[in-house]
Amino acid sequence: MTAAAKRRKRGNGGFVLACLAPALVLFAVFMIVPTVNVFRMSLYTWSGFSPDMRFVGLDNFRRLLDDDQFVRAFQNTVALLVVVTVVTMGMGLFLAAIMTRQKLSGRNLYRFVLYVPNVLSVVVIAAIFSAVYDQENGLLNGALRVLSLDGLQQVWLGDQRIVLYSVAIAMVWQSLGYYMVLYMSSMSSIPEELYEASSLDGASAGKQFFSITLPLIWQHLRTTLTFFVMSAVNLSFVLVRAMTGGGPDGASEVLLSYMYKQAYTNSSYGYGMAIGVVIFAFSFLVSLLVSRATKREPLQF
Amino acid sequence: MRRRLVLVGAAVTALGLVAGCSGGGGGPDSGKTTLKVAALEGGYGRDMYTQVIDAYKAKNPGVDVQLQISKSIEDEISPNMKAGKFPDVVVLGQGRKAALTETLVKDKALENLTPLLSTKVPGEEKTVGDKLTEGIVGNLNTNPYGGGDTYLMPMYYSPTGLFYNKGLFASKGFKVPATWDEMFALGEQAKAQGLPLFTYPTAGYLDSYFFALLADVGGEQFYTDVMTYKQGVWQTPQAKQVLDITTKLLGYAAPTTVGYANEQDFTKNQQSILENKALFMPNGTWIVGEMKDAPRAAGFQWGLTPLPAVTAGGKRYITTSVESVWIPSSAGHKDAAKDFIAYLYSDEAAAIFAKSNAIQPIAGIAAKLTGENADFYKVYEDPAVSALVGGFASTAPVEGVDIKGTLFDTANSVISGDKTEAQWQTALDEASEKLRQAGN
Repeated sequence: MTAAAKRRKRGNGGFVLACLAPALVLFAVFMIVPTVNVFRMSLYTWSGFSPDMRFVGLDNFRRLLDDDQFVRAFQNTVALLVVVTVVTMGMGLFLAAIMTRQKLSGRNLYRFVLYVPNVLSVVVIAAIFSAVYDQENGLLNGALRVLSLDGLQQVWLGDQRIVLYSVAIAMVWQSLGYYMVLYMSSMSSIPEELYEASSLDGASAGKQFFSITLPLIWQHLRTTLTFFVMSAVNLSFVLVRAMTGGGPDGASEVLLSYMYKQAYTNSSYGYGMAIGVVIFAFSFLVSLLVSRATKREPLQF
Repeated sequence: MRRRLVLVGAAVTALGLVAGCSGGGGGPDSGKTTLKVAALEGGYGRDMYTQVIDAYKAKNPGVDVQLQISKSIEDEISPNMKAGKFPDVVVLGQGRKAALTETLVKDKALENLTPLLSTKVPGEEKTVGDKLTEGIVGNLNTNPYGGGDTYLMPMYYSPTGLFYNKGLFASKGFKVPATWDEMFALGEQAKAQGLPLFTYPTAGYLDSYFFALLADVGGEQFYTDVMTYKQGVWQTPQAKQVLDITTKLLGYAAPTTVGYANEQDFTKNQQSILENKALFMPNGTWIVGEMKDAPRAAGFQWGLTPLPAVTAGGKRYITTSVESVWIPSSAGHKDAAKDFIAYLYSDEAAAIFAKSNAIQPIAGIAAKLTGENADFYKVYEDPAVSALVGGFASTAPVEGVDIKGTLFDTANSVISGDKTEAQWQTALDEASEKLRQAGN
């Protein structure tokens, strides 16, 4: 390297730093500081307003273990995470495969229709599903009545055993289109020759899906798994808050909604932050585990 | 040329940002005191506040009053409060979801307003304390720590109780029950006609029901014991009786109740009263305005009754919801704020508030009411009926314990059969005990 080139490189460094500085400062102020604060506050008892903050060490976490409501919220979150991920991923893959491999007429329309829910505000979705689930004139119970399946009618948002699955269905409905489009884009980049060659060898559509499509989009699948973890934690909160408020009697409470209740309604800000730390650790851990468990040698075409 | 324009644009934007940041300060110019008033925009609307403030400013040219009013006022003032910028006067009651008032009470961050009671109302002869209805201050709602010091001034009051359709009762020949025995007899009678006796919008609306029932069963002392978490209070026979009555009543609940008892659908439970699909629901006088555009059965007319008496001729309490006005102890202009609050109880201000159906606890005001309101406020005239104000006493926050949730929300589980009365009692006992330990 010549001296002139070296100098230019150094000069560039200063310029790059100046350009990055605003972004870095913003990142620190709005991401790092609040995150560190969550961890710090979880060790205190604080109501949120007073200057009176008391350091209590790990007491907040110890209390969490005895808190039945917290355990229930945790279970609900895990159940939502598993159910929503499995169903959305399965259906998303299935639909994407059909849309890309089969020459369906009007598939652009289907794609559009399935994608629309993703653009809607969650509050709108809550209102739509409140109309769908209405126990008397709702779409669901009404359809069952027309089909003379009155025995299958349920109080979708009032029965403690079903309410969580009612929320799960709304979540699947909301996110299905998004993942379908993601999978479709990765599937359409697989070269057509592979399918032609395999069909000459007599492979069925199912065989092609499992032996060609799935391995070749594996990296994309792994990425979406992380999205699933995040959406199960975040989306479930907004949806539960707008649709059921965690009820009836805490049956649909999820971690974030319980954290909100504790931090604000119950004036236990420190305790709420302890829940926040658990959510952070949990999402982090699950993402890590999922990412490790699905690690494969990347296949290229 | 173009580059210069871009630069000028950027400079203007930057200046705007700086100005925007410094705009909040509002320095004291020309010696005027700027009083910052924050109010919840409730069912009464916002016009009455602007009118009262205009009237106040006309009398006090030296004071500028800034009104901040919103349906979710907590969300708007609390970020500033966390940053140390406090409003001077806040009109906001307890029992809201964000629980800002409760949080400040727990923190002991409110100004002591006891001296205000002996202050003369500006422009009048009487003191604030003289003008107030008897018994409206001195309870846990105004003196949250149980002592003689008042921290929250009662602003508007309204009776809560069981609402029903007078028209339906007249046409069916039902009598409004005076005792619980009559209530359950009516329940059977209505059931035979396919009418459920009871529903509630959401379980949270059971607050007025429970407070009154506790006092009906065990008297005011027992009520105060429950509200202040006396040791073992939920294991007493009175507490058992309260839960017995409630469990029995919930057995008569409309089948749709739990399914609609959420934020999205609670109006559908309210609608079932309007459409004669249930007889009674606990609610407050705001229901009239809230459901004014909803379709209703022919001949519908709102009626309000206190809870039935436990024994014939027994004393009945009516839970009275009271909105509060208070001064944060970190407010900048406390004296001006106190003067403003005193003015809120003047005849002039009361007349403006009453026009919007906001009824202040000023002695003699009930006689001036008209329409449905006159009917509702009449419940206080029955000598066997007393007003009951208050709510659970404030303690230091206890992590994970929410006694209101335990007392009210469990009703959903009792109706569906997911929890038994015994589990309810045990859970209440545990929650109450934890709060008692935190309070002392």
